[in-house]
Amino acid sequence: MPAYVAHYLVMVGIYTILAVSLNLLVGYAGIFSLAHAAVYGIGAYASALVALKLGMGFWGGLVVAAVAGACAAALVGIPSLRVAGDYYIVASFGLQVVILTVFMNWTDLTNGHAGLAGIPRPRVFGLVIDNPFKYVVLSLALAALTYAVCRRLTGSAFGRTLRAVREDEIAAQATGKNVVLVKIVITTISSALGALGGSLYAHYITYINPSSFTLDESIFITSLVILGGTERLAGPVVGAFILLAVPEALKFLAIPDTVAAPTRQILYGGLLILFMFVRPEGILGRARAKSA
Amino acid sequence: MDLVLQLLATGLVVGSLYALCSLGWGLIYGTTLHFHVAHGAVFALAAYYAYVGQKLLHLPLPVAVAAAVLAAAATGLLIDLLVYQQLEKRGAFRTSIFISSLGLLIVLENVLAIVFTPDPMRMDIGALGTAVIIGPVFLTYLHILTVALAVAGYAVLAAFLKWSRWGQAIRAVSSSPEMARTVGINLGKVHLLTYAIGSAISAPAGILVAMDVGAEPFRGTRFVLLASVGVIMGGIGSIPGAMLGGLFLGLLENLGIWKLPSEWQSAISFGVFLVFILVRPRGFFGRTIHSAEI
Amino acid sequence: MMKRLSVLFPLIALVMAAPAGAQQPPIKIGAILPLTGSGASYGVWMKGGAEMAAEEINAAGGIGGRKLEVIYEDHAADASKAVNGMRRLVEVEKIPFTLTSYSAPTLAIQPIGAQNKVVMMNGGGQSDNLANKEYLYNNIPVVSNEVGVIADWLSKEKKFKAAVVIVANDEAGRNAAKTFREKFTADGGRVLAEEQVALDGNDFRAQLAKLKAAGGDLLFISSYGRNVAVIADQARELGITLPMAATSWVLIPEVFKSKGAEGMLVTRLPFNPDSPFARKFKEKYKTDAGFFAVQYYSGTKIFARAAEEAMKKGGGKLDGEGVKNAIESLKAFDTISGKLVFQPNHAAVMDIEVGVLKGGKVEVEKTLKANP
Repeated sequence: MPAYVAHYLVMVGIYTILAVSLNLLVGYAGIFSLAHAAVYGIGAYASALVALKLGMGFWGGLVVAAVAGACAAALVGIPSLRVAGDYYIVASFGLQVVILTVFMNWTDLTNGHAGLAGIPRPRVFGLVIDNPFKYVVLSLALAALTYAVCRRLTGSAFGRTLRAVREDEIAAQATGKNVVLVKIVITTISSALGALGGSLYAHYITYINPSSFTLDESIFITSLVILGGTERLAGPVVGAFILLAVPEALKFLAIPDTVAAPTRQILYGGLLILFMFVRPEGILGRARAKSA
Repeated sequence: MDLVLQLLATGLVVGSLYALCSLGWGLIYGTTLHFHVAHGAVFALAAYYAYVGQKLLHLPLPVAVAAAVLAAAATGLLIDLLVYQQLEKRGAFRTSIFISSLGLLIVLENVLAIVFTPDPMRMDIGALGTAVIIGPVFLTYLHILTVALAVAGYAVLAAFLKWSRWGQAIRAVSSSPEMARTVGINLGKVHLLTYAIGSAISAPAGILVAMDVGAEPFRGTRFVLLASVGVIMGGIGSIPGAMLGGLFLGLLENLGIWKLPSEWQSAISFGVFLVFILVRPRGFFGRTIHSAEI
Repeated sequence: MMKRLSVLFPLIALVMAAPAGAQQPPIKIGAILPLTGSGASYGVWMKGGAEMAAEEINAAGGIGGRKLEVIYEDHAADASKAVNGMRRLVEVEKIPFTLTSYSAPTLAIQPIGAQNKVVMMNGGGQSDNLANKEYLYNNIPVVSNEVGVIADWLSKEKKFKAAVVIVANDEAGRNAAKTFREKFTADGGRVLAEEQVALDGNDFRAQLAKLKAAGGDLLFISSYGRNVAVIADQARELGITLPMAATSWVLIPEVFKSKGAEGMLVTRLPFNPDSPFARKFKEKYKTDAGFFAVQYYSGTKIFARAAEEAMKKGGGKLDGEGVKNAIESLKAFDTISGKLVFQPNHAAVMDIEVGVLKGGKVEVEKTLKANP
């Protein structure tokens, strides 16, 4: 397997975790959050910091990241208890900006713009995962685990409650469902899993800085979900496989990087517009009854 | 004290820019309920239209600016005509409109980045760049023009909405699209007009920033976000609200750093907004919102 | 530029057909540079210097008979991009050596280089944290040398007592500001206020207004790249009349052109604008050469020398560890700026000039030997 294929698969694994966890909010709970990159970043920083400052291993770092993500869930979830729809979107934009500013300026903790370098590679049963080929196994395994967890969750009674809340919050409340609790649970799980993705990323690239967790990144993760289809849990997975192939394919064309980066973005944006015209339900979505 | 006055002045200037953006975005949102983030792309495009007009077509500055505003109005109108209205014909959900708008924003910004590079494109502003000293406060003529344009823009818009027939049609659609349709108002045409006017009133903001520090492809995203914050804080559907919301944000950002470290500047507006939205989502002047939003 | 080089190689190979007839693969090295963004001016110099060196090396027969090929990566002042570029260079191109630039990007790639035994040569970044790092060599003095010199000069000779400082909020900017504060106060001065700005920002009026309110008799600019010109212009626009001072990294075309920067007190690392190198650079790239052009020219030539040594000792094989050992054993290299000696802390020492920026040129007042 060439190195770039291994790299691609590692990134597919990481983004599967991010996109599937976001879909819990967007597709299943109807909470359109654009702050997922911030949650991703919290997981990455938490994991990197305990590894660098406390010498904690990768697995400990994963747990810490998940806990940090769960705490961050409060930030994501509380506005959703108060407002929805467009108001919530703007609030999540705001949250994303605020958290990014913290990453940039709380330099004592995060080292600000300079970022954290030299993040150690994971150790699994004594084996150091020090190249992309070994990392593929780790990344895909964690992605599969995340997917399985989400599948159990959405297939259960809780999952049905979730869908009820998404379709009509007031009606759900009227039938006795505890809407507040549902929202708290789902944002906590979504954020904990998103943070896990951050931990996986940090130990793979071995360097993180705020520029990896910007609004653009949130929009990208959202694209994976939308294009893959929010109806099905596997939708974001398909989205990840397809959209992450774009930069790899572009690498084979000899475009200078200054043009390649905006070109990539144009392709993503173009795909979003195109899909809204021809297949708004996404690749794996079921065509929904259209509104008037 | 000198510092506070200087920050107050800067805050008014920046607030004027935000106000122009909020007025335009708020008009569009209040009337069409489209979450038109691509408004940020129109903001950026307006700056480049002016830059091209002056630097490549060698038009005198006022002509370049006027042409840029018209071009921006046309751009906004075309976005509605070719994208949003087409999607609506296909029965698209509001989320789909938002996503397509997001896609448009990304595409247009990055096309600008390829064509003009991400570096700022400076314009010649001649005497407008001269410093003006008012007591302890230093400004340029451009800054004073910015505040003046915001006030003028607000006045013109308010007058138009109140007294002209088309303005009344817009208000009718804004308050109830179904009722407006029943009295024979053509929703499609009103939407197009709204987009044209909304884009035209925000375009000067993009152009003024370009005249000050240069045109940049990605600046629009930040401005459209702040515009939406300003509109929500001012109250959706309220034109005075949008104006005040924008001004408030500008003042908040600048006076906020009087005591807080200046690197936290961007967090201040959004931080305050997050608290605000938990306390009074309706905004200062907002009417009670239909269930679509809350 | 790259396309031109790649066309030249087959031609040169043909012309200089090796006696054995079989063509050896080229030696690939990396160069991770600020080709776009706020530091693009540095990138023009750095890339030009490296290219010129590579061409000269290849024209003289290459290294041990093998052609030298430089692969350029753009970090645009973003350390994440530098990391991606470094990983591509190390994992895909399998380079033994790379040129690097800027402090935060270099610090970000250093662990990757150390782990994979790839030598990194920094000719531009100046953060003190760049010293004493495995596999990383700096053919430029760290910033505390320059800042120390200018702080001394400003307080002892120019008699400034109270400074306000504007700082780029990245590794290099903050490091320089910290050193300035330490040295200036050690000399008896005071730092009244510090404000941070973004390297790629373009509106610093709020921060400058706060600095103006703090008073003082000197504005020290601990930033670099394009924003320095904007800082200088906006400072004057806000009515700040204080003299401004900065170290050599601000000596770029945008700053030379800025009216606000006129009269700035600066340090300068040795650079002769009339040297044969400078003239050749100007002719080839149609723009004046700068200090950093020489730096990356030298860095490439230092690699060539070290690689030759490594191949001799390694029986024709070339890898990063061999290059590192060669640098450690040779220690001193002849460059067009004179003899360069790597100190035990992996950084270099150079003479430092202090002077005034007038009409786009530095009027040198004094030359000082730097303290290693």
